[in-house]
Amino acid sequence: MTAVILDGMVLGLQFGLLATGLTLVYGLGGVLNLAYGQMAVISAMVVLFAMDAGIPVLPAVGIGLVAGGLIGLFLDLTIMRPIYRAQGEARVLLSLLLTLGVAFIVDGFLNWRYPLKALNLFIGGGAVEILGVPMRRGSLWASGITLVTFAILFAFFRFTNLGRAVRSVIEDEEGAKLVGIDPRRMLRLILVLSGVLAALVAITRSMVIPVDVQAGFSITVFALIVAVVGGLGSVPGALLAGIILGIINTIAATYIGTFLSLVILLVAAAVTILIRPSGLLGVKG
Amino acid sequence: MSDRFTGTTGTSLVGGTERHASRSLSTLFASVAGVAAALALAPLWVGDSRVLMGVAVLGLTFACYTIGFNLIFGSTGQLFLCVGALAGIGGYSGAILADTVGLSIIVSVLLATLAAGLSGGLLSWIAVRRSLGVIFTGIITLIFSLTFETLLLGLGELTGGENGFLIESGSDTFLREQIPPYYLMLALVASFLLVHGLLRRSHIGWAFRALRDDEVAAELAGVNVARYRIYAGLIGSAMLGMAGATYAFTEGRISPNTFGFAEVDVVVIVMLAFGGIGTLFGPILGAVTFTIIDEVLIEFGQLRLVILGALIVVLFLWIPRGVVPTVRSTVEKRRRRKSDDSQPDQDQQETLQPLGEMNNKGG
Repeated sequence: MTAVILDGMVLGLQFGLLATGLTLVYGLGGVLNLAYGQMAVISAMVVLFAMDAGIPVLPAVGIGLVAGGLIGLFLDLTIMRPIYRAQGEARVLLSLLLTLGVAFIVDGFLNWRYPLKALNLFIGGGAVEILGVPMRRGSLWASGITLVTFAILFAFFRFTNLGRAVRSVIEDEEGAKLVGIDPRRMLRLILVLSGVLAALVAITRSMVIPVDVQAGFSITVFALIVAVVGGLGSVPGALLAGIILGIINTIAATYIGTFLSLVILLVAAAVTILIRPSGLLGVKG
Repeated sequence: MSDRFTGTTGTSLVGGTERHASRSLSTLFASVAGVAAALALAPLWVGDSRVLMGVAVLGLTFACYTIGFNLIFGSTGQLFLCVGALAGIGGYSGAILADTVGLSIIVSVLLATLAAGLSGGLLSWIAVRRSLGVIFTGIITLIFSLTFETLLLGLGELTGGENGFLIESGSDTFLREQIPPYYLMLALVASFLLVHGLLRRSHIGWAFRALRDDEVAAELAGVNVARYRIYAGLIGSAMLGMAGATYAFTEGRISPNTFGFAEVDVVVIVMLAFGGIGTLFGPILGAVTFTIIDEVLIEFGQLRLVILGALIVVLFLWIPRGVVPTVRSTVEKRRRRKSDDSQPDQDQQETLQPLGEMNNKGG
């Protein structure tokens, strides 16, 4: 049982990280970025090409993170301009359609040019025992990096002026404007951050399973579900929802098995949303 | 901020100006007949090619899906991201009822329609009971889609799993010939259009408009918002199921991809948004346009997806409201300007008169 819970935590941390980049952008700008998974895949490809070019792993990962941020910046400077001009529901819908178009462009290009590429950062060495359970090194590294990332994010949002400014825009955009915060600049910052997080998702994921060029869609869908279950706009919510859904998925996979474990995961997500439409830690009660 | 979550505000993307309510019955019949007649000519053009006729039938099937989705989302603002799943409930239950259970095709299609309608109505009821906003309805129905897809793959003994379901019933009838399925689908498209048009004229249509423009005001005015949402969910989903089942019998083979989220829902949303959300004929325009674009792009192979994506981005930057509302307001503006120039005194009368005319043609 301990093994199942630990495996679930590993998966859950991944789910949580997956949802964070998406949830922040939605919470801040009311924008659903359906090209989120594609941002992750592009970053993964950048890391792969850097390594193919003979750059060592760590600098290559660094280049991938920067690439993720640049993609975010690029999106902000291009399609986000007309999106932010729309208001409320129209904005959600327009962002959905435009980012879907971008996702198509990226998917089509990668499948055309590099159909068989996949990023694979397996970490060798024997298993490590945690609480008497042997764990793979790749999973531990991925979870460690995720935990550190969340720690940095929490510190950023709680203790820095910039982080507080971002939170104030999430809570009340008009109020934030009144105290001199430029929401548009915060949106740009968060989109860049979301790009970096997407890159990090791809990198930590590739330590456990290969990330291929087709992975974009499923990354986006899972990110979306976890983000909504956790409460859109809430980073702690994303982490909590990720861990809960991860553990549910692993338990179902171990004791029930087959395709039903995915069904159980989906039903659990649906039930949570129906019981608490604003999510586990949603802003709106 | 809260509006974004509850989705109670009117939106500029959905609908636009709505003056079709007063469209007379004969105009409605005439315009539907006109559209159907225009579409009926397609076999003259591509009737020789089995492949192109297959594409045309699929295009009309998507027109049916888009009309059904428009009735649910365009009329009552419920973002159903399970168009493919509901059509798939129709397709698969029709196939299983006819082949495995042994019912006649007509009875199977009717039961399949009922099954899809009830599923959609149930989803609608849940969304209304929990007062889910647009995004949350979207997520719940997306989860429904993924669950349906997983079950299709998992219950391989019943559904054929990944390999798909080969439908024996109807294999020796007109359903598998080259041209007749096209006219069968066209009949569905025309009758769905009529149903939607008649609904818009009835008290249900007034309720739809009222609740979409301002839900709270509609509720205060005595419109039972919940009931009308569920009506839309029921009727629209029944359309999806009927189209899915009919398509299954004409095609002879269905697989999870036939009704997949990426293959159906994404395409339907793009078609509807292109034509104009909430308009009567927008779905037809969107379905026809994107079917043709998709077919033309086939020779580009893998790059097709890139071009399609770029087209989507350009189109929605250029005409975010869709073609029908954009053309309508442009024509309106031009007529108004013309009448301003010629007879500034009778401004009012002059603008009202042409508007009525234009509505008969447009939309």
